[in-house]
Amino acid sequence: MLSELEMERAVFTLRKRDVTEWLARLLGQGEVIAPTSGPCGEVIFSKIDSPEQVLWDFENPLSPPKQFVLPQTDPIVRIECKGKGTQVAPIHDNRRRFLFNVRPCDAKAIAFLTRMHETEPADASYLSRAAETTVISLDCNAPCTLGFCVCSDSGPFASGGSDIELTDLGEKYLVAASCAKGEAALSGMDGLFLPATDEEVAQRDDLESEAKRHFGDETCHFGSAMRRISTGRVDDALWEQMSDWCLACGGCNFICPTCYCFSVGDRGGDGTWTRCRTWDSCQYAAFTLEATGHNPRAQRRDRMKRRFFHKVSAQYFVRDGMAGCVGCGRCISVCLGATDMPAVVAAIRKRAWHEH
Amino acid sequence: MLNIPTTCPCCACGCGFFLLARDGELVGVAPSRTHPVAAGKICSRGWSAHEGPLWGQRLVRPLLRRDGKLEAVSWDAALDHIAGRLQDLIQAGKPIGVLGSPRATNEENYLAVRLARAGLGTNHLDFCYHSLCRPLLAGIEDVTGDSSHSIGLADIESSNTIVLVEGDLAKTHARAASSVLKALASGARLIVIGCARTQMARVASCFLPTVPGREGDTINGLLAAAIRTGPTEGRGAMPSAGLEPLQCKLAEVNITEEMRVAAEWLTADRAVFLMGPGGGDAGRLRQDAAAMTSLAVITGHLEKPDSGLLPLLARSNVRGACDVGLAPDRLPGYSHIDDPEARRRVERIWRKAVPIGSGLDAEAMLESVSGLILLADDPEAVLPAGRRVRAAMERLDFLVVLDAFATAAVETAHTVLPIASYAETEGTFTNFENRVQKVRPATAPPGEARDGWRVLADLCTRFGTGSAWSSANDVFHEIAEAVPRYEPAERGLSAGGWGSSLIGAPAWTRFALQGAAAGPAEADGHAYVLALDGTFDWGSDPLVASSPTLRREYQSERKLFPGGFVEMNSEDADALGVREGWRVKLNSTHGEAVVPIRQRKDLLRGVLLAPYAFRDCLSGVLCEHGVTAVNVERA
Repeated sequence: MLSELEMERAVFTLRKRDVTEWLARLLGQGEVIAPTSGPCGEVIFSKIDSPEQVLWDFENPLSPPKQFVLPQTDPIVRIECKGKGTQVAPIHDNRRRFLFNVRPCDAKAIAFLTRMHETEPADASYLSRAAETTVISLDCNAPCTLGFCVCSDSGPFASGGSDIELTDLGEKYLVAASCAKGEAALSGMDGLFLPATDEEVAQRDDLESEAKRHFGDETCHFGSAMRRISTGRVDDALWEQMSDWCLACGGCNFICPTCYCFSVGDRGGDGTWTRCRTWDSCQYAAFTLEATGHNPRAQRRDRMKRRFFHKVSAQYFVRDGMAGCVGCGRCISVCLGATDMPAVVAAIRKRAWHEH
Repeated sequence: MLNIPTTCPCCACGCGFFLLARDGELVGVAPSRTHPVAAGKICSRGWSAHEGPLWGQRLVRPLLRRDGKLEAVSWDAALDHIAGRLQDLIQAGKPIGVLGSPRATNEENYLAVRLARAGLGTNHLDFCYHSLCRPLLAGIEDVTGDSSHSIGLADIESSNTIVLVEGDLAKTHARAASSVLKALASGARLIVIGCARTQMARVASCFLPTVPGREGDTINGLLAAAIRTGPTEGRGAMPSAGLEPLQCKLAEVNITEEMRVAAEWLTADRAVFLMGPGGGDAGRLRQDAAAMTSLAVITGHLEKPDSGLLPLLARSNVRGACDVGLAPDRLPGYSHIDDPEARRRVERIWRKAVPIGSGLDAEAMLESVSGLILLADDPEAVLPAGRRVRAAMERLDFLVVLDAFATAAVETAHTVLPIASYAETEGTFTNFENRVQKVRPATAPPGEARDGWRVLADLCTRFGTGSAWSSANDVFHEIAEAVPRYEPAERGLSAGGWGSSLIGAPAWTRFALQGAAAGPAEADGHAYVLALDGTFDWGSDPLVASSPTLRREYQSERKLFPGGFVEMNSEDADALGVREGWRVKLNSTHGEAVVPIRQRKDLLRGVLLAPYAFRDCLSGVLCEHGVTAVNVERA
């Protein structure tokens, strides 16, 4: 076994032809979830049956791997009424899973979710699933079209969050385990992983610099927006104007790899119920509706303001150690209106919504 | 996790998404960039579309009413009972009706049509929402000779000018509203006709404030302005009858500066016209729709491939229901019931004679048939008469309900057949763009529920008009025979992938131009106009009402105001001395009602709006046609 210090820098290489062998071993240990060719030409994260299904050259799937740690409908408690007594038992999903070839932004998002759910009061349901999940990320040598991960320090190369970081070096992959869980996924693979040379590690750093150059100046400048949002210096009139370009679909929340707000409901009857956690959206009017009929965020502009305060305010940055956005760009694809993260951040920076 | 590509069962936009299922249970929804309608963007209803089937109160066993109570029986017992009871009614000469549904697939509706006309020998055939959208479709047909025309959302996005008769597009058809926003972002002009500064009105380039019931005046103004502006060169090649009488009719119409400018914008290269079913007098609504269609003709946009009119139908499969002949007077493909050639075509397929003459529509049917087969619908939730429909339902000698959900209709049913929801069955929906799209099962139906098309096929067989259908595709194959314009879709559907196939409408030969009816004379002494907002209540639809996420959005108002409310302009409320939640007394020639008000700054003065869901609370004061002149005082 490597010491903890060494494990942090346990860096290997893996020949591309040996990837199949590694995946086959992982399949023997648990579920492997990876980007695959889904129905209708869509790339999706799904459970694979054989190593060949894993995509290596792909646009990041529209749906993030969040469904595998925090499903949209998530049974958390079983409730049984027998006679006079009521039994309540937690439901824990302890299936061992490998999230393979997730992009660095998504890996960082899972780390964000885990940190949130670890914070007391800790969420045992989420954590039991997360504890059995190993995140294996693949760096983006060429950034995707809509991403702005450099703005939130979440990519294009792994920046915390992956248990194992893969980098495509051409002939082989650089394989860096960053924790015991990552290390375990590499163990027992006799001869498959060779220690990486200093040159190979340097090659990774060159590729990272090259990948970051792709972004040029086209970043969304969280900085000045964060200052204005944190200090309440965004005009209500601007929120109002922007909110007319939001259709309250909730898509930005549901597709966001870091959004975790939920509601709770009971399914069943006849003495047995399953309490489920269900994804919720802070953009829905009734999200904050109180039983009296009072709604502290009755107007759409207030809900929008709240969302962006949570995502990019200094207050939350300090609490969470990062912005609540990993720059994956998915909200641009799903926004039914025009109020995706870069559009709103740009409007706040320019103090004006785009003219029409 | 299974990712099943399917079509959204909610509004008529027809977005596609993946239903996610794990261990045989629905888990969620994932959007897809590759779907031709959705292109990755779905609305709140789509995002929670898995919840209705998962959380809903599902029908899981066939039920038979004995001594006033519904009891579980076997499928054979239920089907035998239905066949026996309906045969008895037929032999006794009692009328039988069939109501299909825009929530059902084309395959289910088509078999319901065949069962009614060929099996039960009745032309009493319709669907409840038809009562609301019929005037709109008829108005389009009056001008073009055909009501199946539409355009696509892509046409909205590439248009230069958009005319919208506003209900509340952002809420009723959010995906279409998304296309409007996209067009605006690329510089298009939006002209909105409506009684409130809704979201679409606020982003519009031109808002034409219009009191409910007076939409025709505004459309006539636009028509007059468009005629004065004159046709754009090279447009309007199609012969149009009725221009001169229309000019005479419009001679006295007041053209405002806004209308003149709007008409100028309509000379642009591409323009689209969006109009949904409205509330009020059916004859007036039909003329309004005809006038809007005429505006599209006069400005030369109806004949252009990427311009034209989009009827904003409410539910996923309204278009398909019309296409397959779910109407008292039409055969599959819109031919009139007495058209000899069309009769021969379907009689050859059905191997049975079809009765002659139009049947009763949904509202009339409920009042007068003895036996009724109700497929996937809840008349009191849909029809304008609301809860008053229940008395008619209770009066029925024999009511069969086929549904996936335990709706209010089940409470009066004599026999209940549990069928699969959209998430568990195979079939097609046709969206408002005329796109036939595949619906696919993500899980098995619960309990003993069966595919709706199988149950209807079984009933067809029992009434002597069966065929050897072994799959929903077989049924679609037959639809393609009966409805010629569906034939090209068959290959697209079987090709895999989304199974989304745009079908054409027949080519036009000439247009008959029409203006709108002038608005009602100033109501003597009545200061306000009371109107219903919208023509469809998602809050009482099982897919929305069963979903915990959506129910909260769509039903919170009725929990807070169980007796309903009317929305009133804030200045009007100040003038009356009433505040939010205070009660007012409404008085019309029809009667009176006392309801609380909610204030709205964006509503025109003198207009009172009540959500369609609250029509029952206002039945005392609302006249039959919905739009009613009222007086208001503090209660």
